[in-house]
Amino acid sequence: MKRKTFFLFSSIAIGCFSLLPFLWFVLTSWKTPSEIEAIPPQIIPSFYWGFYRSALEQYGLLRYMGNSVIVAGATTLFTIAIGSLAAYALARFRLSWTRFYLMLLLAISMFPQIAVAGPVWRILNYLNWLNSYHGVIAAYITLSLPMGIWIMTTFFKELPYEVEEAALVDGCTRLQVLWKVVLPLAAPGLFTAAILIFIHAWNEFFFALLILTNPTLQTLPVGIALFPGEYTMPWGEIAAASTMATLPLVFLTLLFQRRIVRGLSAGAVKG
Amino acid sequence: MKFSHKGLLDISTLVGFLLLSCAAGYAQTQVRFVTWRADPQWVWDQAIADFEAQNPGIRVVREVGPHSSTEFHDLLTQKLKNRDPEVDVFFMDVIWPAEFAAAGWALPLERFFSRAEQKEFLEAAIQANTYQGQIFGVPVFIDAGLLYYRKDLLKKYGFSPPRTWPELVDQAKTILEKEKDPQLTGFSAQFKQYEGLVCNMMEYILSNGGSLWDEREYKSTLNLPKAKEAVRFVRDRMIGEISHRGVMAYQEPESLALFTQGRAIFHRNWPYAWEAANDPKKSKVSGRVGMEALPAFPGGKSVATLGGWQLGISRFSRKPDLAWKFVASMTGKESQRRIGLFTSRAPTRKQLYRDPEILKKNPQFESEFQTFLRAVPRPRTPVYIPLSNIMQRYFSSAVVVPNSDLDPLASLASRDMDRVLDLLREKGRP
Amino acid sequence: MSHSHRAALQFLFPSFLFVLVFTLFPIVESFRLSFYRLILTLPWLGQKFVGWENYRDLLTDPVALHSLLTTLMFVAVTTPLEVLFGLGMALVLSESFRGRGYLRAIVLVPWAIPTVVSSQMWRFIFNDRYGLFNFFLFGDDTSRYLAPLADLSLAPIAIIVAEIWKTSSFAFLIILAGLQAIPTDLYEAASMDGATVWQKFRYVTLPLLKPALLLALLFRTIDALRVFDLVFVMTQGGPADATNVLQFYGYKKSFAEGMIGYGSAISVVVFFLSLLLSLIYIRSMGSRMLQTVEAR
Repeated sequence: MKRKTFFLFSSIAIGCFSLLPFLWFVLTSWKTPSEIEAIPPQIIPSFYWGFYRSALEQYGLLRYMGNSVIVAGATTLFTIAIGSLAAYALARFRLSWTRFYLMLLLAISMFPQIAVAGPVWRILNYLNWLNSYHGVIAAYITLSLPMGIWIMTTFFKELPYEVEEAALVDGCTRLQVLWKVVLPLAAPGLFTAAILIFIHAWNEFFFALLILTNPTLQTLPVGIALFPGEYTMPWGEIAAASTMATLPLVFLTLLFQRRIVRGLSAGAVKG
Repeated sequence: MKFSHKGLLDISTLVGFLLLSCAAGYAQTQVRFVTWRADPQWVWDQAIADFEAQNPGIRVVREVGPHSSTEFHDLLTQKLKNRDPEVDVFFMDVIWPAEFAAAGWALPLERFFSRAEQKEFLEAAIQANTYQGQIFGVPVFIDAGLLYYRKDLLKKYGFSPPRTWPELVDQAKTILEKEKDPQLTGFSAQFKQYEGLVCNMMEYILSNGGSLWDEREYKSTLNLPKAKEAVRFVRDRMIGEISHRGVMAYQEPESLALFTQGRAIFHRNWPYAWEAANDPKKSKVSGRVGMEALPAFPGGKSVATLGGWQLGISRFSRKPDLAWKFVASMTGKESQRRIGLFTSRAPTRKQLYRDPEILKKNPQFESEFQTFLRAVPRPRTPVYIPLSNIMQRYFSSAVVVPNSDLDPLASLASRDMDRVLDLLREKGRP
Repeated sequence: MSHSHRAALQFLFPSFLFVLVFTLFPIVESFRLSFYRLILTLPWLGQKFVGWENYRDLLTDPVALHSLLTTLMFVAVTTPLEVLFGLGMALVLSESFRGRGYLRAIVLVPWAIPTVVSSQMWRFIFNDRYGLFNFFLFGDDTSRYLAPLADLSLAPIAIIVAEIWKTSSFAFLIILAGLQAIPTDLYEAASMDGATVWQKFRYVTLPLLKPALLLALLFRTIDALRVFDLVFVMTQGGPADATNVLQFYGYKKSFAEGMIGYGSAISVVVFFLSLLLSLIYIRSMGSRMLQTVEAR
């Protein structure tokens, strides 16, 4: 009995801690302007949709979302493609320098962005890639490769080598083996890596801020961080935009919770 | 060869068609204009439509940048650093012309923009666009710091609008004491650590006879007694006695909201606040708002920081003459009149402040005009941003901590500023 | 052997290209530029070699030192608390009870929210006039309301709270994985010996959990060192530089002020700082991680 109440209380505490602040913000998005500033705060909003309308129509929220989908989606695809090649080699060839490469990836995943940001900006500027999707995607691929490669390497390791051996004996090249045998078998692992990379790219702010100064190309985090307000702080619109930016991720997380937990703790690599 | 006669014909018509359409495309010359989303949209649309109507075959292509000045600066300078020949005309914030001139991005406009024509505009705005004797932009609208106040409250206690800062504090204290409204504060302005803080503090320092730095000697003057005295006054009295501590995280929107909610007696803001404060939909105090030039310190004269936006022409533009035609039209009498009539912005052509129709619609312009005449631009230099960051740091440290010793903070800031200013002494300057 | 070397090279090449162009080269380039004086807004000064001058300036730059201290303080406060919170949540959620699956998913919500969004959210909660923070502390007595983001000592705390809320779930994930790896028969044996709950935690869980705790701590340390989004959205480094963290300072120098040389010196220092940390980390954890990759 004591045990049960303990778990009840601690669960409620944990749930409140994790959910309440964000829930409060979500509720704010449905309030009227005067409800937002009410003291004492009004908990139940009157489900006013005006802020969603103005976030969509006046602040171009859909455009930001579209940009985020393009950037995060392309980053995920390319990182999986390039990363799975590397991960396959790292899982199958155990050479002294491949170990070093793994460690190198681990190390660079830890560098603060500012350590490379200036020259990255200059390279993109030189290539005329600033303010373009491919510019920001190239930077994001580099950011997500270490995490992606580590996760996929762990998954590839778990696959039985015998099938591959048989295919090699049958005269397949390594690339064919990877494409026809390994990738289908490792699909769940790839999917896990893809979710994590997608979330990471969706949320990234620093490089997006530097590379995308043109509002028609900016992603959601930049849009939300720079929400303009001339007369008042547009809290209603910010809350509405934040809700719309976050709900897809929250659903993704709730849906694939197990995979995410496994992916993050298996490689234990943080992006 | 299996080309049929018919096929060849098709190809030649296609080629001909392509050539024709190219020619048509060529005939329709474009002017590319980097701008931001201005309100109300139609005023600017109309100005562009007028220009296109007067210049057949020319089309203005707008590239719309972010509204925030810092972000817009990043976008625009990125294009200019790339020597992007596509950019012809752009908007400039009032603090940029020096930087753009020094970096060789903005075209000097002497051959288009005569001295006589410059005289038509407010001097302060022209001065802000002048760098080392050359002019680099044409002002579109002007901003200057103004004092807003609650007419009803001042009247209730028999006060006339304050002429000096100490008077403002005393009035606010009396009103606060008697009103006994816990929601009410005396003063709301912009004291967050950002560019607006420099604009605000400059008004105190200059109205006490101080300055930010000596532009001839390249020396910071923030550690001189007049400047320190003003800063100390802001900390101990403006903030210490009559404001609520939240102002130290406020930019324009938050501080204006406090005022329009009826929670501040005095408020410092730019001209646009007049419309917002008097719009019953946005403001609880509409009709009860007064506006005046900012106070000064006893013995000093009122100073308003100059803001506003200008049009400049890119040095890399392939059609500067056409670009000038566009700039001239956008800043011409007709467009300027529309700005005066239909936006809450203040035009830059002096004659409009005598235009009966504009004055009828915006009676506040009459009193604002004197302020605009006197508005002081922030010192012009290509290293403005580093200097501003040092000043923001100093002002924020100085006002946030009560009772701290200002002297070491001020001398530290001066030392840092001097080091940046030293760069300007070096040879090789154009 | 040479065949597998070549094959491995071919497979690794595309990824290495990205790492080379967008990470290794930039680091070398930052290092090179840090010996020059290069100011974007003063093009006539050119690119002048100044040796160690930028580094000497950096050592005597009180703002830089202050931002380093602010960053270290931020790291020192947030990471242990995050690990502690993560441990607490993991201990509860490793037991089986009804609704555990839902609760585990809920705990992940803060982790999934973009930092920019959570920053705006906390900025709203810490609002000086209608924020929930003030209401919880003072009810509707608005005269006592605080302005946390305008206060020298509260602003860093506000940022710290926002960071802890957002990232404790990551520590939770790592620690939960560690907990699940502890064989249950150890607990059974301890129960047979009559150990109390506390004793079981102290003598079984904690020693075996040490690697996971360390891992969580190191990951969080490295991540907290690069705090930027929170500061950018919530305070822009103010008030009075109280939240001016290293990465924000470097951003301002390089990108707002155009001081490329000096900004590069900051980048290099930040790089070595994090390299040091990641080396410590790889030394203590790396071989264990390689084993998990290679053992199977």
